[in-house]
Amino acid sequence: MLGWEFPPLFSGGLGVATFGMVKALRNNVDIKLIIPSYSTSSSLSNVNIIGLNSIAAKELDMEQLRFNFEDLTSEVHRIPLSLSPYHYINEEIERNRLREETANFTSERTLEMIHTIFSDSNVYGFNVMHKVYLYTQLSEQIARSMEFDIIHAHDWITFAAGLRIKNSTGKPLVVHVHSLETDRAGEGIRNSIYHLEKEALGAADSVFSVSQFTKEQIVRHYGIDPSKIHVVHNGIDPGDMPRKSHELRDKYVVFLGRLTHQKGPEFLLETAEKVTKVYPRVKFVVAGTGDQFAHVLETSAYKKLGSKFIFAGFLSKAKVDELLSMADVYFMPSVSEPFGITALEAAQHHVPTVLSSQSGAAEVMKSSLKADFWDTDKYANYIYALLKYGPLNQQLSESAKAELDGLTWDHTAKKIYNVYQQLLTN
Amino acid sequence: MPSICFYFQVHQPFRLKHYDCFKIGHDHSYEDERKNREILDRVSTKCYLVANRTLLSLIKRYKGKFRIAYSISGTAMEQMEMYRPDVLQSFQDLAATGCVEFLSETYYHSLSFLYSKGEFIRQVGKHKEKIEELFHQTPTVFRNTELIYNNEIANFVSELGFKGIACEGLDHILGYKSANFLYHPPQNNNIVCLLKNYKLSDDIAFRFSNKDWKEWPLTAPKFAHWVHQTAGNGETINLFMDYETFGEHQWPETGIFDFLSHLPQEIFKHGDFNFKTPSEVMAAYSTRGEYDVHNLSSWADIERDLSAWLGNSLQYDAMERIYSLEKKIKETNDEKVIDTWARLLTSDHFYYMCTKYWNDGDVHKYFSHYNTPYDAYINFMNVVTDLEHVLEVEYQPKEMQAATVMV
Repeated sequence: MLGWEFPPLFSGGLGVATFGMVKALRNNVDIKLIIPSYSTSSSLSNVNIIGLNSIAAKELDMEQLRFNFEDLTSEVHRIPLSLSPYHYINEEIERNRLREETANFTSERTLEMIHTIFSDSNVYGFNVMHKVYLYTQLSEQIARSMEFDIIHAHDWITFAAGLRIKNSTGKPLVVHVHSLETDRAGEGIRNSIYHLEKEALGAADSVFSVSQFTKEQIVRHYGIDPSKIHVVHNGIDPGDMPRKSHELRDKYVVFLGRLTHQKGPEFLLETAEKVTKVYPRVKFVVAGTGDQFAHVLETSAYKKLGSKFIFAGFLSKAKVDELLSMADVYFMPSVSEPFGITALEAAQHHVPTVLSSQSGAAEVMKSSLKADFWDTDKYANYIYALLKYGPLNQQLSESAKAELDGLTWDHTAKKIYNVYQQLLTN
Repeated sequence: MPSICFYFQVHQPFRLKHYDCFKIGHDHSYEDERKNREILDRVSTKCYLVANRTLLSLIKRYKGKFRIAYSISGTAMEQMEMYRPDVLQSFQDLAATGCVEFLSETYYHSLSFLYSKGEFIRQVGKHKEKIEELFHQTPTVFRNTELIYNNEIANFVSELGFKGIACEGLDHILGYKSANFLYHPPQNNNIVCLLKNYKLSDDIAFRFSNKDWKEWPLTAPKFAHWVHQTAGNGETINLFMDYETFGEHQWPETGIFDFLSHLPQEIFKHGDFNFKTPSEVMAAYSTRGEYDVHNLSSWADIERDLSAWLGNSLQYDAMERIYSLEKKIKETNDEKVIDTWARLLTSDHFYYMCTKYWNDGDVHKYFSHYNTPYDAYINFMNVVTDLEHVLEVEYQPKEMQAATVMV
């Protein structure tokens, strides 16, 4: 299995999903997981996790690698970056620096360099394309000395590795779509990541999509045969989260997620403006950051909504839990949300949810209130009702919590396992 | 000589328009006039006019031997007056034959008995006046909204002077007894219980067009045969159903109107059988013991209880909230405000909020113009919030207004 985000390092739902899935699958499947960065704090029994940040020399062919590493720069040139949302800084500088530095590397220095690159606590960052390239080379090498039956690759960052390994071993490839470039960068995008996704989706023996919504996107924007796409909704670990009270008299509406166009910050602002007019005693708590942060901050100030917003920045898992335990409404106005695992987390904290209909979570959460991502009147009406009518808030949080019983990772794992079986018998 | 006793329920609620939080405090008109008119038009064309024509011709053909009863809610009568006087006229033509009885019910098709006896009495009285005005007869048999029934209701209605009451014939209450006889509530001989034969009623109302049903297709001779089988073991077969069964729930293409027009001739093939209205049944037969119902029952869903209207906390909340305004509303002495409030008591508003089987996309969804029960609740509650606002702002007692100015 080829993964990217993994606890404790993740910035979005991919890490949560990979971890939950592996944990549920490991009892029936012998999993070897390759990830950029591994910390023993997230070890799982029965799972062989290989982190490139601590890879040993014996697992790699150093001579081969040295050659590849030098080659890295020229390879990188082939990938024009219009990378959203993961890159912010000038790629060129880094590329030149790397070219000079790697020219005369010894194998020890190479290994050290690999460890350093993958020890970065930001698994994306400005040099994400270098990481992807290197991950692809290393994974292919590691896979050569491994025994396995199926390649399971999570999202575009591991798709190139998946394709390489499929080509060199002939093993069946499953690509798992947690998010598409057309979600992140807009429907019309046709950049190199799009093409990488398209190639992998086309070549894959089976595709997992985290929602029906995403399946439709894959068919529409990538022209993939729907019969090989299996919808495998994300799950959540069973559990009950305690409620906490907060000191403020205002009620909390919580937004969790990267502040990027995809997550609908425009609609968050518009909705907040409408809600506060009819229900002044409310605070919109925004947890997360991204390229739209400054815009959201400035616009909220311009609209005289400054006192209605609390910007909490990027929060740790513990802080997110604390915030949700105090929330009155969870709000996810995403323009295009393949799943939205945070909506399940909110439900686990007994928080009713107002979700964009353009999301996977909306498919599985019957007791959420849904509106099209642009319909801020409807969002506002729903949020108002949840703040104002206590019995509605209670009924929706109770029934959403009950729905989670059918949305466990075990359930997800069972579906994945069945597709594995099919691939092996074909 | 056993009788067939038909009673058809005619009801249309005043549906609410989309009323979001931004309208609260600004917009005090709550109803979707266009939708109400459209639905009445559709049901009139598909059901009321066709069915009325069919039944009128049967009454004429059998020269008084074919007899039926209706219960028409006040909200339905009002909408006919406003939007479709021709439909109202066709009911009046039926009334003029002398073969049609009109039953009593709550004017607003409400669950008021459960929340306010005062309001219940007011609505029953208002409905009686309307029936007298439009159909020139005074109802003596009562049917509560959705046949909601128990001993207490029967006794209360008996105190109001009614001689009969319609209710569901529940197997677990009847035991070995048959719904095809008349009964009376325990220790009360002043009122007669007319029990719906739910099997034969639902064969027409629900199963008629169901191709998976082993009896499909249901023909008039087949149905008449089932009815005739009760000979010697029953005096009245009470066939109670929504009038919209004819043409609206069961489309004309299913043959429902053919079925209806051929039924009397098939029934009459057995010389012993006749048609009677509820009060004629009560005059012809005596009661055969007690029908003892403690828990509230109804004719809805498989549960035959109140869970379609009072099955989740949202429905209870909405119901309690709207009834809690009664005192203030009535203190305004403003007929228009009282009417606005009372229209919100109509059971349909609460039915739309039902979450039972909602996931299965069932019959409740069919009857609702909301996407979800939550939308129904939110819309209703926004309206109630505005009505509370109106009461506060426009109908505050004089001295309190003065006090506000002083402050």
